[in-house]
Amino acid sequence: MSFVHDPQFGDRMITLMAALVLVLQIAMVGQRWLITNIRMFALQSFLLAAIAGTIAFFNHSNHIYIAAVLTFVVKTLVLPILLERIVARVGIQQEIEPLINVPLSVLISGGLTLVGYIVAESFYHPEETSAPAALGHNTLAIAIALFLIGFFMMLNRRKALTQVLGLLSMENGLFLAAISLTYGMPLVVEIGIFFDVLVAAMVLGILVYRIGETFDSMDVSKLRRLRG
Amino acid sequence: MNQIPISQAFLGGMILYAAAGLIGLIAARQRNLVRIAACALAALGAVLEGVASFAVIKDAHETIISIPSGAFFLPYTFRLDPLSCYFNLALAVVGLAISIYSFGYLKSFDSQKPVGVFCFFYSLLLISLTAVFTAANAVLFLVAWELMALAAYFLVSFDHEKDETRRAGILFFIMSHAGTGALLVAFLLLGTWAGSFDFSAFHVASQTLTPLQRGSLFLLFFLGFGVKAGMIPVHVWLPAAHPAAPSNVSALMSAILIKTGIYGILRIAFDFLGIPPLWWGLLVLAAGTVSAILGVLYALIEPDLKRMLAYSTIENAGIILMTLGGAMVFRSYDRPFLAAIALAACLFHIFNHAVFKSLLFLSAGAVVHATETRNMERMGGLIRRMPLTALCFLVGAIAISGLPPLNGFVSEWLSYQALLGGFGSTLSLTRIVFPIAGSLLALTGALAAACFVRAFGIGFLALPRSSQATHAHEAHPSMLAGMGALAALCIALGLGATLWLPLLDPLVVQLVNNKVSSNLVLAGGLVLSSGSPKGGTVAPAVLAGLLVLLTLLPGLLLAFWRRRRRTVSGPTWDCGLPGLTEDNEYTATAFSKPLRMIFAAFYQPRREIQTEFEVSAYYPTSIRFESGVEPAFETHLYTPLKDRILARASRLRTIQAGSIHAYLAYIFITLVVLLLFGVRS
Repeated sequence: MSFVHDPQFGDRMITLMAALVLVLQIAMVGQRWLITNIRMFALQSFLLAAIAGTIAFFNHSNHIYIAAVLTFVVKTLVLPILLERIVARVGIQQEIEPLINVPLSVLISGGLTLVGYIVAESFYHPEETSAPAALGHNTLAIAIALFLIGFFMMLNRRKALTQVLGLLSMENGLFLAAISLTYGMPLVVEIGIFFDVLVAAMVLGILVYRIGETFDSMDVSKLRRLRG
Repeated sequence: MNQIPISQAFLGGMILYAAAGLIGLIAARQRNLVRIAACALAALGAVLEGVASFAVIKDAHETIISIPSGAFFLPYTFRLDPLSCYFNLALAVVGLAISIYSFGYLKSFDSQKPVGVFCFFYSLLLISLTAVFTAANAVLFLVAWELMALAAYFLVSFDHEKDETRRAGILFFIMSHAGTGALLVAFLLLGTWAGSFDFSAFHVASQTLTPLQRGSLFLLFFLGFGVKAGMIPVHVWLPAAHPAAPSNVSALMSAILIKTGIYGILRIAFDFLGIPPLWWGLLVLAAGTVSAILGVLYALIEPDLKRMLAYSTIENAGIILMTLGGAMVFRSYDRPFLAAIALAACLFHIFNHAVFKSLLFLSAGAVVHATETRNMERMGGLIRRMPLTALCFLVGAIAISGLPPLNGFVSEWLSYQALLGGFGSTLSLTRIVFPIAGSLLALTGALAAACFVRAFGIGFLALPRSSQATHAHEAHPSMLAGMGALAALCIALGLGATLWLPLLDPLVVQLVNNKVSSNLVLAGGLVLSSGSPKGGTVAPAVLAGLLVLLTLLPGLLLAFWRRRRRTVSGPTWDCGLPGLTEDNEYTATAFSKPLRMIFAAFYQPRREIQTEFEVSAYYPTSIRFESGVEPAFETHLYTPLKDRILARASRLRTIQAGSIHAYLAYIFITLVVLLLFGVRS
């Protein structure tokens, strides 16, 4: 079992899981069912927690374990349950109606991944041999791509709830970037961000509920009627 | 006094102000408790601030108070130098009187009105004004400046049920922010050039700037501060906001908030930017002259009592700016002595105006509360129904008209002397400017006197012109106490002018490094001199004695004559129509009619008469008469400007589609483009 303690192995594990996260993100763009989307988000968050755990394990930094546990609890358990409950309460249709059709959306997601790599390239300094710089190369690109695709998901979808999902996966991208570049921010910052996300999700949940009540639909394009 | 009690008194005052505001928020339900506690705390805070400021001025000792804050570039640094403390002292004096007045005044608010919220914003205004006057770095200054504007906005809009009030509030808000925009640009430029936002760094850095940089900075600052100072043509918010606000707020705004603009101009012209070029002083002088003369002309024809006072504030701000500009001109000609006299006149008038204008607004508030109207055509006869208020208003009116022996006389007299002194001692081009400015100042003074004769005569004398005026009642004792204190101060500042002037020395020394009071005060404090051998001298106390004697003389003569003659009293001649009513009285419009005709070119008066008759035009069944004047600045400057801005802005509406997806797309596209752009470069 000596390979477990090999940092090379850890790096590869992290890169593999990050790649899976990206695949899940693009799959979310292509996926048409709301509940499945929420579960994919949960899975993605679970992978993120695993990445955090791996980094913590190989760098022996205890506070990243806390971040990992927090990610697991908040994003893999609490938020998906909360979101599914809202879906049940509002009783919306299951199918997501994207503004841009699925094949084109997936293509655009691919393009955005490319943008992520182009941007990350400029931060890559091969002469620096310390671990974060080398690790950052791939994971930073993925993180930026996650962020952009999450944003694109918000843009592309009509229902307020799916926009919340987009926002949350954007946050996942930020988390990945932060944890892979710095090997964990100060714990206070992490906790702050988690709290922030939780509150944002709560507020958005309430908002979704209200929009549903007022307009008999969760279609945010109907908010256009509010214009004076 | 050593350093520690000053800073403790200063901070203690601030804390008391804050406590007054917090009580307003916490105990908003207990209306009486809030009113009494908040007013008492604010008054106590004003006392502490006043003591601290007075000590600084008296000892000419600078105190710096620095409170560390979380943000590294924004320590809360307050610098108590004589100039700051002079303004803070004026604030404390006026704030004390207004806080006492408010005990009674707030009682008159409708029971639906949130007194607690009012107290909160009132205290916030006091705190932010104190901070504006004493801030020692640009960031803190701007924060305080904006807090002040916000607090004032909420106070102006306090009667938000009325459409007129809301419009006034928004006008104030827009003008105030336009001014702040100019200030922000100016401070950022100066801060960048100086490499620091600390006020003390500005003075050093300005020596290295090019004339172009200094000139543009000055123009930006002058515009930004001019808005708050009520300078024409950026004065339009003032006649709208002052009448709309509750009267204690109008008093505070007119007396002190206006002065923040003057304070700013003094700071930049004498502290930050070094020796000014000639044109700066001439610009300030010209703006002051225009403001003074146009302000009083508008005041003269205004039937709304509080709006008339607002225009009069513009006039007084003009007078202050005139002497300020004069001082700058003298400074650029290197005439420190004349500059010192002009500055002394300017500073003294600042304080005097704060005292008598707040007095006038407070008594106007008592009158408006009693008669439920601001229109002086519907007042009248109030001297019998509210004699003490009438007396206070009269004292304020005499003071503001610049009549001896009150304080307005002394500072206006000094202003004349300073301006006329410029004639003999500057070069050819500018020497003609001073007599012109001086004569326009004389015209302004005369018109201001006419204006207040009209206000007092129409508002307080003769018969009541409406049923509300008939049933008016005297103001609450605490309101009278607040007004009485200010009236007493007007008299004390006038009679004891020679005692007060030496207190201005530390300020004048700080600004132009010259001392004047020993030249101005002669004969052991009895005689006030213009400082130069060719100028005049005056003795306010002797004048006062003469006035009393001359007033007594007719009384004595009357008593003498009455012994010999039998007095016959009969009714006033009534043209054969039995019974004179209030309809026969001389009106405010009629009083100002001759002046309206003389200045017709400026007023562009408009008159419309419609007569309806059945048989012949000689027997009309009804007559409708309407007259008004052209609001020149609104129609020729602001309306076209507003239309243009709105037309441009409406083109931007297409971007605002109301669709969340569109908004997200804007952000998204911007983000991606910026990311790629950032990588490329």
